[in-house]
Amino acid sequence: MTMDLGQIIKEKAHELLASKKVECVLGYERATDGKTARPLFAYTPEETERFIFDETCVHGLAKFLLNWKDKSTAIVAKPCDVRSVNLLLQEKQLNRDKVFIMGVVCPGVAECSWDRVGPPQQRCNACPQHNPPVYDFLVGEPVPEKEPQNGVDPEVARIKAMTAAERRAFWNQQFDRCVRCYACRQACPGCYCTECFVDQVDPTWVGIRHSPADNHMWNTVRGFHLAGRCTQCGECQRVCPVNIPLMLVNDELTQEVGDKFAFQPGMDPSTLPPFATFKKDEHLGIG
Amino acid sequence: MAKFISKTDLLAWLEGLMKERTLAAPIKEEGVTRFAPVKKVADIVMDPGATDFSPKDWFFPPSETLFTVSKADGKTVITPRTMEKEAILFGLHPCDGLGVALMDLPFLAEPADASYAEKREKTTLVGLACRQSRPECFCTSLGSNPFDATYLDVLLIEAGGGYIVQSKTEKGQKLLASAKLTESNVETPAPPAVNTVPVEGLVAIAPHVFNDAFWTRLADRCIHCNMCAFVCPACYCFDIRDYVGKGGVVERVRSWESCQAAGFTKIAGGYTPRPTKAARLRQRFYHKFLYMPKQLGSIGCTGCGRCVRVCPVNIDIREIITTMQKIGAKVAVGAP
Amino acid sequence: MPSARRSPFIPHTARLKESIDLTPDVKLFRMELEDEAVRKEFQYKPGQFAFVSAFGVGESPFGLASVAYQNDAVEVAVRRVGTVTAALHELEPGAIVGVRGPFGNYFPLEEYKGKNICIIGGGIGMAPLRPVIRTILDNRSNYGKLTVVIGSRSPADLVFASEYEGWGSQPDTRVELTVDRGDANWKGRVALIPAVVKEIHLSPENSVAIICGPPIMIRFVLVELKALGFAPHQIVTTLEAKMKCGLGKCARCNVGDKYVCQDGPVFSMDQIAGFLEQF
Repeated sequence: MTMDLGQIIKEKAHELLASKKVECVLGYERATDGKTARPLFAYTPEETERFIFDETCVHGLAKFLLNWKDKSTAIVAKPCDVRSVNLLLQEKQLNRDKVFIMGVVCPGVAECSWDRVGPPQQRCNACPQHNPPVYDFLVGEPVPEKEPQNGVDPEVARIKAMTAAERRAFWNQQFDRCVRCYACRQACPGCYCTECFVDQVDPTWVGIRHSPADNHMWNTVRGFHLAGRCTQCGECQRVCPVNIPLMLVNDELTQEVGDKFAFQPGMDPSTLPPFATFKKDEHLGIG
Repeated sequence: MAKFISKTDLLAWLEGLMKERTLAAPIKEEGVTRFAPVKKVADIVMDPGATDFSPKDWFFPPSETLFTVSKADGKTVITPRTMEKEAILFGLHPCDGLGVALMDLPFLAEPADASYAEKREKTTLVGLACRQSRPECFCTSLGSNPFDATYLDVLLIEAGGGYIVQSKTEKGQKLLASAKLTESNVETPAPPAVNTVPVEGLVAIAPHVFNDAFWTRLADRCIHCNMCAFVCPACYCFDIRDYVGKGGVVERVRSWESCQAAGFTKIAGGYTPRPTKAARLRQRFYHKFLYMPKQLGSIGCTGCGRCVRVCPVNIDIREIITTMQKIGAKVAVGAP
Repeated sequence: MPSARRSPFIPHTARLKESIDLTPDVKLFRMELEDEAVRKEFQYKPGQFAFVSAFGVGESPFGLASVAYQNDAVEVAVRRVGTVTAALHELEPGAIVGVRGPFGNYFPLEEYKGKNICIIGGGIGMAPLRPVIRTILDNRSNYGKLTVVIGSRSPADLVFASEYEGWGSQPDTRVELTVDRGDANWKGRVALIPAVVKEIHLSPENSVAIICGPPIMIRFVLVELKALGFAPHQIVTTLEAKMKCGLGKCARCNVGDKYVCQDGPVFSMDQIAGFLEQF
């Protein structure tokens, strides 16, 4: 990293708060392990001194914009996070006037967990988007984008090559570990229902029991609700305490939606996701 | 002189015990270490470092059937679930022993939870002393220590190519009868140093920190998943629901639940006394630092650091304790 | 060594003797505990509650609407609001349900001897108040004036309506009815309960007010009682909280350092004011 992105963020955040252009700046600070990062909500110019930006800033912060909708907030957003902000704008969850996007030219982030900074994340290697697609302030110098890698993700291809029985066995084994903490949902920028289907009791769609049937129900429906909406930020998988490869569910569906609708979620704030639109003359080759 | 067992003899002893009993120990699956029934002793993670999930998995599992309801000859028959075999819970650290003791407080308070009580009666705790502490450990601040045998039936301290064996309970002695113990003059190593957190006086200052804006700020970044509660050896909230299985047999199932969930306190009709994220986040710490001490006689934390490790947004209980103390100190001297 | 302990989660089986429509969405369940010994042991006081199971659907807590000394049937009034209550409403007489309890504290009627009692109930909130009224009427000379203010959304929603006349005909007892909205046949009062409390000018002197109803009603009744001069210790209510065990174990009803299921559900307003967490 040639530029000190953290310093640029500090200065801009200071200016935004001092001039009262925003009420809060949402970015990253050092965590208590002294190594990794955590979200920081700065409300005063003084607090902006704590901002950092480096390869440990893995968290997608877009979801936090839903903490409030009436407060003008600046958000430090990597390109994948900008896509999440766009999703929320598309779906009318945010008011564009209230969000100031500090888009970061992203060098890629590392595999981080408590007290550990690991190698670069797999998803960042394949990521075709290093410049934020939308921003109000650019943090860093734009970089030339890599050619998007065409073709099917090898992991998705592996799953698709399985027979239905093999696939069921594979997912049963993965979902069996689920402890239903719903961290995947809580971290996901696309999961914002006032009451999630899994929490509804009348009628009860999913039981509380940690059983194959209930676990499967939760994990597959979660995936389906994000079909064509997942911005591939990877937060669900990052926060999963039992290492379920949740992005594999999402990626497979993203691929399906990409093939059928030539759509990539969150690339701009105005285009609605395919499942939020209806065209009479549309034929999907089903039914 | 101390009782000693070699590493090979330890595994042989456990293997022998498995014939009559269920052995639960740290097992690693897909990078996650949890206490689970052992199929073969070679699978046991012998230096668990602190399992990702706590030993409450064994006594208070993520889901369990409390009883079944069936019909027989026109009569409604309720059958409680019982435990078939005696069990050994192996490989828990001293702080986890304290965790079990804390879990006893709500579950064994009269009227005792019968299924929990039965599991406790029939399970012998064989612990491993900590070779190393981790940065997030603070067991000594909560009355335990890396070599603490207080809440265990057997404690093994790794030394001299094997383990020094300590046991003060009848259950432990009974279990050790089949172990190949030798007398050894191997020296007990020094316990590892553990970071400390200022817990003293916390209960007294807690009421004065309740309405501080600190909780609202902290809740800004909390994502309100249930992970901290699920990995915690002392968190015990639960939900109960019915399932209807084959042949119309009803199972009443208990599953983990946590105070972080929005629906946790919501009554039919929609009213909830804890509608904000800050109120829910605060509840977890007040239950541990004020309500449990007042109702059950002990702070509900073992200093195991699991919640610190698992939290995706670094809600750090050590930092919270320190901050509460700072705020409390200000209140105490009458500052605003 | 089988554990001799009986799980406190295991309910007693009870036979549904009768289910009586009280309003379009409230039924009174009269249940008889199957085991005779259990029936004898199942003693309770006004204000206490029990869990009732619809096996296969779940169990929910209900305030006990009967008085233990009066009959052998355990009664609860069930308003159809969720899955468990809907399942209970479907049951026919003869069906087997589960009953677990009694739990919680009770209205300290012994302490109220010699006092004037004002009972204010809204909707289904009348259920736990009915045994209070019955106990007072059965021991009429022990208490002063009894005023019962009953309100509901509409005339059809008045719970225990068939019993009001009997209550009102007792000495030194008045029953004041009100509805939010009347209908073609309703000739009585159309007003909100707090307005009635103000209108009839309840006197705080040597009095205790017992309130039960929806949180919003309680809030505004409190305003009126305060204006009339009632002190917090003279006002008693029952709190409704999410509960799963009734044993102080599931921690759902934990508010401040209190458990509604064990420390309550009956609290005086001065106790509630002392809660760390606002309810």
